[in-house]
Amino acid sequence: MLSRKAITEVKKIVSEDLKDNCRLKIVDLLLNPEEAERYNIMVTPALIRTHPKPEKKIIGDLSNKEDLLTGLDLTPRQ
Amino acid sequence: MQNKTRKGAVEKLATGIRGFDEVLEGGVPKGRSTLITGASGTGKTVILNEFLYRGIIQFKENGVYVTFEEDKKDIIKNVKNFGWNYNALIAQKKLTFVDAGALKGVIFESGTNYDFSPLIERVKYALKKVKAKRLVMDSIDSLFSRFQNKDAIRQALYQIVAELKDLGVTALLTGEKVGEEKGLTRYGVEEFVADGAIELELIKGQQQFLRRMFVVKFRGIGFRSGIVEFEITDQGLVVYPKIPIERIVAKTDFKIRKAFGIKGLDEILGGGIPLGHMVLISGNTGTGKTMFGMHFLTQGMREGENAVFLALEEPVEQVKKTALVHGWDFNRSEKEGKIRFVSTSLIDIANDKLLYQIVSAVECINAKRVVVDSISTLMSATMNQEQVRQFLVQLVAYFKRKGVTCVMNYLSPVSFGAVRGQLLSSLMTNEIRLSSMTDGIIMLLFVERDQKIKKLLSVLKMRGSEHATEIFSFEIEKGGIKMGEKYKE
Repeated sequence: MLSRKAITEVKKIVSEDLKDNCRLKIVDLLLNPEEAERYNIMVTPALIRTHPKPEKKIIGDLSNKEDLLTGLDLTPRQ
Repeated sequence: MQNKTRKGAVEKLATGIRGFDEVLEGGVPKGRSTLITGASGTGKTVILNEFLYRGIIQFKENGVYVTFEEDKKDIIKNVKNFGWNYNALIAQKKLTFVDAGALKGVIFESGTNYDFSPLIERVKYALKKVKAKRLVMDSIDSLFSRFQNKDAIRQALYQIVAELKDLGVTALLTGEKVGEEKGLTRYGVEEFVADGAIELELIKGQQQFLRRMFVVKFRGIGFRSGIVEFEITDQGLVVYPKIPIERIVAKTDFKIRKAFGIKGLDEILGGGIPLGHMVLISGNTGTGKTMFGMHFLTQGMREGENAVFLALEEPVEQVKKTALVHGWDFNRSEKEGKIRFVSTSLIDIANDKLLYQIVSAVECINAKRVVVDSISTLMSATMNQEQVRQFLVQLVAYFKRKGVTCVMNYLSPVSFGAVRGQLLSSLMTNEIRLSSMTDGIIMLLFVERDQKIKKLLSVLKMRGSEHATEIFSFEIEKGGIKMGEKYKE
C-alpha cells in the first residue's frame, strides 16, 4: 500500500520534474534481502538516488514533495 | 557451575566469557534477548563481540552481528586487537553482518509512513545464511536516533525479538543508559524486548578506573546478585565473580592442628591452628607479624602442604630476602611449585580481582595454608571498608570450604601495654567487624621493662579450643621466632 503510493509519487516526479531524464528501477526488497543489504536499506518505502554521486536516500511514502525534492537535491537554485 | 533444573525454568546459554557465566549462574537466558546497558565507553560492544566470538570458537554456535553504529569494516578492525579474525569467520560462513552502520549517509524522510520490513528480512536472511544461534545488536539507541517514526522502530524490534525467540536464537542488545535509574534506557525498550538486563559502569578511583557490572533483572531466572568487577584485557573480558557465601560447607576440624613449627607457640595453641580456621595476628609494626606467617607456611611446606602468601605489605622480593636471612629459600619453594605469591598494586585495589587471583593461586597448587599480609594494607589501599569486609567474608568462606587454614596479619594501632591493665586494651577489629569471621586472635605487643623493649604474645581467642591464657615473651632471632618465659611483672 505504502509502496504503491510512493511509486506513484516518484513516477510523478520522474515525468514532471525530471522530464523522464532518468532510469527508475523498482525492487521488492522482501523478495531480495540481499539488495537491501547491498544498499543498506532498513525501511520501505525507500527511494535511492544512485547517480549522480553522492548517493541519496529518501524514505517514507514520499507524500511530502518538498522534503522529497530536498532529499534528491532537486530544489530549484535561488 | 551447575544449573538449577527447576521445572519450567529457562535454560542458560554459556557465553564463554571468562567469569561472566559464573556471575550469571550458567549464562544468559537461552533463546531470549538480554539487554546490555551502560554509558558510552563502559565496554558494551566488547561484550557483544566476545559473545559472538566465543560462541563460534568454543561452542560451534554461529553468529549474526547487527550494527546500527559502527561500520562492519571498523568492527572487524577493532576486534583484531583481541586477536580475533572476523574475516576468516565470515569466509567460513560462521559469522555474518547486517551492516546498517550510521556512517552510511544521511536519510531523508518524506512522510513518516514507513515500516522496517527490509531490516527484518535482512536479519532473517542473515540468520538463515549462517544458521545462527547467536545474534548481537548494537545499538538500539542509534536506531532510534536515526528515524522519526519511533513506533515503527518499536514494532520492528518487537518483531525481530519474536523471530529470534521462534528460532531459538540467543541475543544481546545494547542500549545506552540514561539517568540514575537502574537499567533504564532512553527509549524504555527493555520493557518489551529484553528478558534480562545487565548494566555496566566505569567508576573513577583515586588513580585509575574500575569497571563494574551487575545484573539488573532476569525475569524468573537465577543469577548471583551484587556488583562485580571486570577488566578488558588484550584477550577480551575477564569478569571476577564473587564467591557465593550461602553455600558454605565448612571443612574445619578441631582435632587436626596446623602447627607454626615454633617451639612453645604450638603448645600454647594446643598443637596449632585448627584445620580450616582463620587466625588474626594483631600487632603494631615491628612486632613480627610477617615472621609468624613465614613460620606458618614453612612448617606447612615441611609437612607437604602447599602455601600461598598474599604480599601487600612489602614487595614479594623483599619478603623473599627477609625469609632467606632466616634460612627459608622461598625462591626455590616457588620453583618447586610449593608456594605462590600474590601481590597487587596498592592503589585502588580491585577486590574482586584480588580474590580471583588468590583463589586461582590456591586452586593451582592445591594450597592448604595461606598468609594474608596484611588486612590493614588492604584497608588503607582500597576504596571503602565495606568492600574489604565483603572481600574477607568471601575469602574466609572459600577457605573453610576448601579446608584451607589461614593466618591474617592485622596492624593494630595498640602497641605499648606498659601500664598494667592496658595490655588488653581496645583491639580495633571492630572497625571492620572482623570478630565474627575470626576464629582466633593472637595479639602481639611491646612492653617497656628495665630500659628495654620486650615483645609479648597472648592468645585472645581460639574458637572451640583449649589454649593457654597467659602472656608470653618472645624474641626474633636469626632463624626465626624464639618463644620465652611466661611474662611476669
